Amino acid sequence: MKTVAEDFDAGAPERPAGPGPGRRVPGLAGAAAKAARRTMFWRMVARSVTRRRSRVLIAVLAVGIGATTLFALASIAADIPRQMTREMRAYGANLLVMPEDGTSKVSAAALGPVAEALGSAEVIGSVPYRYETLRLNEQPYLSAGADLVQVRQVSPYWYVEGDWPAAPGEVLIGQDIAEWIGLGPGDEIELVAAVENPAASPSAADSGDPGAAASGDDDLANGDDGVADSGDASAAASDDDGADEVLAEEATGLFRVAGVLSTGGSEDELILMSLDDIEQLTGLAGRYDVVEYSVAADSGRIEALAEQITAEVEGVSAAPVKRLTESDTYVLSMLRSLLALITVIVLALTMIGVSTTMMAVVAERQGEIALRKALGADNRAVEREFLSESLALGGLGGVIGTALGYALAQVISLNVFHRPVAMTWWLALVAVGLSTLVAWAAALALVRRAAEVDPAIVLRGE
Amino acid sequence: MTRLLELESVSKVYGELRALDGISLAVPRGEWLSVVGPSGSGKTTLMNIVGAMDRASSGSVLLDGVELSDLGAKELAQIRRNTVGLIFQKFHLIGHLTAVENVMVAQYYHSMPDEAEAMAALGRVGLEQRAGHLPSQLSGGEQQRVCIARALINYPALILADEPTGNLDAANEEIVLDIFRSLHADGATLIVVTHDPAVAAEGQREIALEHGRMVREVFHDHG
Ligand SMILES: Nc1ncnc2c1ncn2[C@@H]1O[C@H](COP(=O)(O)OP(=O)(O)OP(=O)(O)O)[C@@H](O)[C@H]1O
Ligand SMILES: [Mg+2]
Repeated sequence: MKTVAEDFDAGAPERPAGPGPGRRVPGLAGAAAKAARRTMFWRMVARSVTRRRSRVLIAVLAVGIGATTLFALASIAADIPRQMTREMRAYGANLLVMPEDGTSKVSAAALGPVAEALGSAEVIGSVPYRYETLRLNEQPYLSAGADLVQVRQVSPYWYVEGDWPAAPGEVLIGQDIAEWIGLGPGDEIELVAAVENPAASPSAADSGDPGAAASGDDDLANGDDGVADSGDASAAASDDDGADEVLAEEATGLFRVAGVLSTGGSEDELILMSLDDIEQLTGLAGRYDVVEYSVAADSGRIEALAEQITAEVEGVSAAPVKRLTESDTYVLSMLRSLLALITVIVLALTMIGVSTTMMAVVAERQGEIALRKALGADNRAVEREFLSESLALGGLGGVIGTALGYALAQVISLNVFHRPVAMTWWLALVAVGLSTLVAWAAALALVRRAAEVDPAIVLRGE
Repeated sequence: MTRLLELESVSKVYGELRALDGISLAVPRGEWLSVVGPSGSGKTTLMNIVGAMDRASSGSVLLDGVELSDLGAKELAQIRRNTVGLIFQKFHLIGHLTAVENVMVAQYYHSMPDEAEAMAALGRVGLEQRAGHLPSQLSGGEQQRVCIARALINYPALILADEPTGNLDAANEEIVLDIFRSLHADGATLIVVTHDPAVAAEGQREIALEHGRMVREVFHDHG
């Protein structure tokens, strides 16, 4: 026991003898002193956050749950325009021209009369589509050929991972196909088409030789030369003297996947390429399955035009397509407003939750605050410490909550829209910032009041 | 001897209750003053007023040449951090800070934190080995020594201890008294509130309060 007192004496050579005027610190206002104070400040904040885990967890949770809901809702709201694909599908087209009966095609020759029938109506654009069933990995897939530049224009909300095809031989594949086969942008694929030979077909039916088509011609079916093969195939077929047994050929084309298309609609199971490519592969040009027209006219006029075309132009029938109407747009903007409203409500609820949590946290530390004041802290110093702590908790909760919110938005989007939601970074920043702000604001009044505590209660104890 | 503290008919009134009733008291620099009295007699109330944590209802309190009753909250806080060192019966360490960090908190509010100096202070109360421990990992006696190191770190002109040995066993009480003796020998001014006559007898002078009034004054001769 003596030793303690001796230690105390021995270790205090710098202690002023006699009644001390207080601790002397050189360069009190110096930069070093400031830095030391700042370091201690953050050390206290960090200790409070890291050593009071269960309390911190509750506070972070309160903020985090708010941030999760907030960011999930806001992400989806921000992403709605892109998610509207299904509804926006036919945005550009409001009139479809199809073959009169289900089996035949619309010939290029019929398009002239259609244009004539449309007459004075202002045709903004038309996109002919050619549908074929092509085989990929021995599986048949519906494939479409069209003017991709126009398709892209009328489908601004289609989501393409990778690029739109820019060169011949490039295709888009639907997301579902990409998933089934395990394909992605840049992959090479081999598409096999049945090559029709109108001249040979009747005799092929006569010959009744089922083996011929299947045996095909190995030389011709190899896809090394890419799309161009198809031309060779039909040429070879017609050149062949023993034409009777070459009933239908197969043409193979080598293509490159430029991008993966996901629309949430039937396009997800489609292979999409340029009209030229599909015509070259199948060796048949100028015959379409559907021609989409975009006509500047109201729906009544479009209906009349459709009837007129069906009646006047031989071999085709026309039908109006409902555009996304104004009321639909209204519903969607209502939906967004609703989400915004819910977001505000969630913010308010978060605020209440965080306030309540902070109230408990501050109440629990009333004694500590009084002690700090007894040690000489003024109210502002106490406020600064506790508000900084709230900011730290809010930021932490915000970051965790936003990450979880992204996951939640992803789950919702995949289930509802069948496609991923995009990460909106500015929104994430806003979410983290708002969470921090909410935590700060919730703590502000509480900390102000708590800092008013009378330091005299420390000596009185509890 | 110059006077560090001078009370002139100081009263503290809580409604009907006169917790302090016209106390006049002068404490010279370097004195060890013991304050005794039954529970509720106003000892803690007196310490709070002397330590700039509370204001008197009437009367004048002159501490180190400064009239406390004229000061606002901010200036009182300044007096607390610069002039007063507090030692509590219940230690009042901050639970999530280590021993050395608790000492540094007092440095932080006073001027600037200096970990080496705080470690040295812990060394002086025999706790350098425990510097990194949290209060919950320390015994009562060790916590009280941390509290003392914190009270002394800024070399306060006045050290106030309210029942500093109230929660300690005999061995730890002796350690604390030892530290006080050495402080006193160095010329520190100590005011120690206690229920323990033996502890009270350590002081040079002992005053007794009853119902907020000074009823007795005894001088102890320590040879
Ligand atoms: N904030 C307050 N409001 C009302 N009465 C108070 C307040 N603080 C103290 N008192 C009263 O003042 C009187 C003196 O209290 P004080 O704490 O100074 O006594 P004490 O001598 O320290 O007692 P103990 O030995 O039990 O610590 C008591 O009757 C107490 O109830
Ligand atoms: Mg008391």
